[in-house]
Amino acid sequence: MLNAAVIALVAFMTLPTVVVIVVSFNPTAILSFPPSGFSLRWYVNALTYPQFQRAAVNSLWVTLGAVALALPIGTAAALALERGRLRMPTLWATLLLSPLVVPGVAAGLGFLILAASLGLLRSRAVLIAAHVALVLPFVVRSVWVSARNLDATLERAAASLGATPWRVFRRVTLPLLRPGLFAALLFAGVVSVNEFVVSLFISNRVTEILPVAMYSYVVNYTDPTIAAMSTLFITATFALVWLADRFVGLGRVFLHHR
Amino acid sequence: MDNAVVELRGCTRDYGGVRAVDAMDLVIFEGEFLSLLGPSGCGKTTTLNLVAGFVEPTAGRILIDGEDVTGVPAHLRGLGVVFQSYALFPHLSVYENVAFGLRERRAPAAEIARRVGEALELVRLDRQGRQRPAELSGGMQQRVALARALVYRPRVLLLDEPLAALDKKLREEMRDELRAIQRSVGITTVFVTHDQAEALGLSDRIAVMSRGRIEQLGAPREIYERPASRFVADFIGASTVLRGRAVAPDMVALSRDLTIRVIVAEALRVGEEVELAIRPERVRLVAGPADGTAEARIEGLVYQGSMTEVSARLGDGQRVLAFVTEPAPIPLAPGHLVHLKLPADAFMVLA
Amino acid sequence: MKLLLLPALAVIALFAVALGCLLRYSVLEFIPGSLKTGGFTLDNFRSVTAPQYLGVIWDTVWLAAATTALTLAASYPVAYVLARTASSRVRSALLVLTLAPFFTGAIVRTYAWILVLGNAVISWPIPMLFTERGVLVGLVHFSMPTMILLLAAGISHIDPVYERAAASLGAKPARVFWRVTLPLSLPGIVSGSLIVFAWTLSAYPTPALLGGGKVQMIATVVKDRGLDSFNWPGAAAFALLALAMTIALLAGVGRAGARAA
Repeated sequence: MLNAAVIALVAFMTLPTVVVIVVSFNPTAILSFPPSGFSLRWYVNALTYPQFQRAAVNSLWVTLGAVALALPIGTAAALALERGRLRMPTLWATLLLSPLVVPGVAAGLGFLILAASLGLLRSRAVLIAAHVALVLPFVVRSVWVSARNLDATLERAAASLGATPWRVFRRVTLPLLRPGLFAALLFAGVVSVNEFVVSLFISNRVTEILPVAMYSYVVNYTDPTIAAMSTLFITATFALVWLADRFVGLGRVFLHHR
Repeated sequence: MDNAVVELRGCTRDYGGVRAVDAMDLVIFEGEFLSLLGPSGCGKTTTLNLVAGFVEPTAGRILIDGEDVTGVPAHLRGLGVVFQSYALFPHLSVYENVAFGLRERRAPAAEIARRVGEALELVRLDRQGRQRPAELSGGMQQRVALARALVYRPRVLLLDEPLAALDKKLREEMRDELRAIQRSVGITTVFVTHDQAEALGLSDRIAVMSRGRIEQLGAPREIYERPASRFVADFIGASTVLRGRAVAPDMVALSRDLTIRVIVAEALRVGEEVELAIRPERVRLVAGPADGTAEARIEGLVYQGSMTEVSARLGDGQRVLAFVTEPAPIPLAPGHLVHLKLPADAFMVLA
Repeated sequence: MKLLLLPALAVIALFAVALGCLLRYSVLEFIPGSLKTGGFTLDNFRSVTAPQYLGVIWDTVWLAAATTALTLAASYPVAYVLARTASSRVRSALLVLTLAPFFTGAIVRTYAWILVLGNAVISWPIPMLFTERGVLVGLVHFSMPTMILLLAAGISHIDPVYERAAASLGAKPARVFWRVTLPLSLPGIVSGSLIVFAWTLSAYPTPALLGGGKVQMIATVVKDRGLDSFNWPGAAAFALLALAMTIALLAGVGRAGARAA
C-alpha cells in the first residue's frame, strides 16, 4: 500500500516532464492530446532562434566562469571549516550558506541596484559574481560533507611516510574528496545553468542567460518551442544526474549510510 | 519431562548464496537458560532472529508453545528481546521505554504503573524512571532494556550478545545479575554469545554452533569435558590435540618412543589412527620421569598472574599446552627440559 | 588553514553589499519616471501596509503554509521508501527521479504545468490555470524534491533497530511508525517544512507564470515594481519584507529546536 502511494507520487512528480516531452513533438502549434502526429519543427525552431543561441552562449560563459571560481573558493572554505579549528564553526558555516536563505527577488534587486551604482549595468561580471555567490553554498556543503567523512588519520599516515603538506593534499586529500567535489561540480553547474530569478533582474536582452530568454518567450508566445527547449534541458539533466549516480552514488551524498 | 517452549524443525535460512542456518533442529524447554555459542558468522544471531520473527526461514518451521509461528510477524509472537545495542528509544524516558510493550497491549494505566515499578525495582533502577536513556551509563541502559523486555511477561526472553558492549568488570557483574533475575523470574531464555566463559557460567545447556549447524548440544560440563568434535574442543577452552595410532584397546603410540595409556568410554580399535585432546589444566609438571609422563622442551611461556601458560614440544615434534599454577614447582625458562604428566583419564577422543 | 576561509567570505561580503544597497534604497524617495531617488523617507514601508498589499502578504503566507503542509504529506512516503529500501536499484531510481526535476530549472517545470493545467493536455472540470489552485499545485510540485531529500536524510539517520525493538514489544507496523519512526524523524520534518515555507514565501516563477498576473505573491510585487515600474525603492521595501520574514522564521524555529534538544 505504501508502495502504491509512492508510485502514484513519483508519477505526479514526473507527469509534467512526460507531458513536455510529448508536446515537444507535436506537429501543430495548437496542442491536442493525444498528439496528432510527430514533428521536429519546434526543435529546429528552438535551435535556430537567435535569441536562444545568444542566450546559450551567455549561459555557457556565465556558468563556466561561476563554477571555475566557486569550486576552489568553496573547497578552500570547506576545508577551513572542517580542519581549521575555528572557534565557532557553525557560525561561519551559516554565514557561508546564507545566500540560500535570501529570497531570489531580494538578491536580484540588490545586485541590480549595486550594478547601477557602480555603472556596471550591462556587465557580465556582475552576473558571474552573483552566480558565484548563489552557487557557493552548494559547493561548500557538498565538499564539507566529503571532508567530514575524510579520516584525518589517513593524512597523518601520509605525513609520517614523508609527504609534504602539499603532496598530502594532492595525493591523499584531493582524491578522497572526489565524491564531494564531483557533487559540488554537478550542483554548481546545474544551479547556475537553471538560475532564473536573480538573473532576470540583472541581465538584459544582450547578456541574458537561457532560462531568462525562455521566460521571455513563454510570456509572449504559446507554441511548443519552449517544450522542445525544455526537453533538451531535461534530457541533458537526466543524463548528468544518472551519470552522477552511477559514478559517485548520489545516495552517499544525501543519505546516511550504515 | 519439561514441555518444549520453542522448537525449530529443519530450519534453513539463506542470504543470497550464503546459508546462514542449515537444517537446524532445536528444542528449548520451559524455564531453561540456553546459550547459542559460536564464532562470528556461525549463524547464532540468525537463529535468534528466526525465533524472534525478524526474518523468515527459507525452509522449515518454528513452533512456540506448540503453535506454528512460521510466517507470523514479530509483533505478534509475544516474545521479549534484548538487543546488543539495547535499542532504547532515545525520545522516550526510561519509564516510557519500559512501559512501551504494556501500552501496546492496552493495559490500564494503574496496571502499567504497578508493573513498570516492579520491573524497574527488579533491575534496581526505580529512581531513574524520568531520565532519558542518553543520561544513563552502559550498564544501566542494559538493565532498562532487560526490564523493558520482561515487564509484560513474555513466553521467551531472547538476548543478542547483551553484554558485549560492557567492559570486563561490568560484564561479570551483569552476568551474575542476569542469571539471578532469570532464575527468580523462571523465564525460558535464549542467549546468544561468542564468549565461552559467559556461556559456561550462565547456561543450563549450550548449543555450540559452527557454519549454520549445531556441533554439540548439552550441559556446560559435558561440552567442556567431552567435546564431540575438534571444533568444539578448540572453541571451548584451550586444548592440546595429539595424533597417534592405537596399539592396544587402551594404549596410543604417539611416536616410536612415546606410548601413553588412555581411559576412554569406547575401546580403541588396534591399528586405528586417533586424535586425542587434553585440557592444559590437566597437564602437570613433575620433577622427574615417572609412569605416564612424557619428556618435552619448553618453547614458550606466557605469564598470566595466577598461572603460566607453558607451550612445550614433545620428542616427536607435537606441541603440548599446559597451565602451570603459580608459584611453579620447578623453574621455567625457554629451552628447559621438563616432564609432563598426562593423566590417562584426562584424554578425550575426538571423532 | 583559517585563511582558506577568506575568499569565500569575500564573496559573501559582496552579497551582503548587494543587500545593503537594497536596504539603502528602501529608505529613499521614489521619483516616478526616473531611476534617480530623493531623500530619506519611510513612505516605501508605509505603502507596504496599504490594504491591497497587506492582502498580498496574507495570501502569500497562506499559500506558503498550504504548500508546506501538502508537500510534507506527499513527500514523507517517498522519503521513507527512499531512506529504508534495501534495494539499491530502487534507491537509485527514486533519487534520480527526485533529483532530476530539481535540476531542470524553474522555467521548464513551470512551463510543464502550464501545459498540464491549461486544459491543453488534460481537461479539468474546474479551471486550474491562472488560479490559486494551479499555483498551489505548481508550488507543491516544486517543493517536493527538496522536502523528500531533507526528510530522507533525517529518516536514514534513524537506526532500524528501533523499529525492530518496537515490533518485538508488540507494536504493529502502523504503531511502530506512529510511536517511533515519526517522532524520531521530527528534526527532518521541521527543517524540511521550514525551508519549503521560507522558499515558498519568496517564490517567483511559479506564481508569475501559473498565476498569469491574477495570483499575486510578495515576489511578483517586487518584480512588478522593480523591473516594470522602475520603482526600486518601493520594490526594495517589499524585498526586505520578504527577507525579514524568512530570517525571522528560520531564527525562530532554530531557537525552538535548540530548546527542544
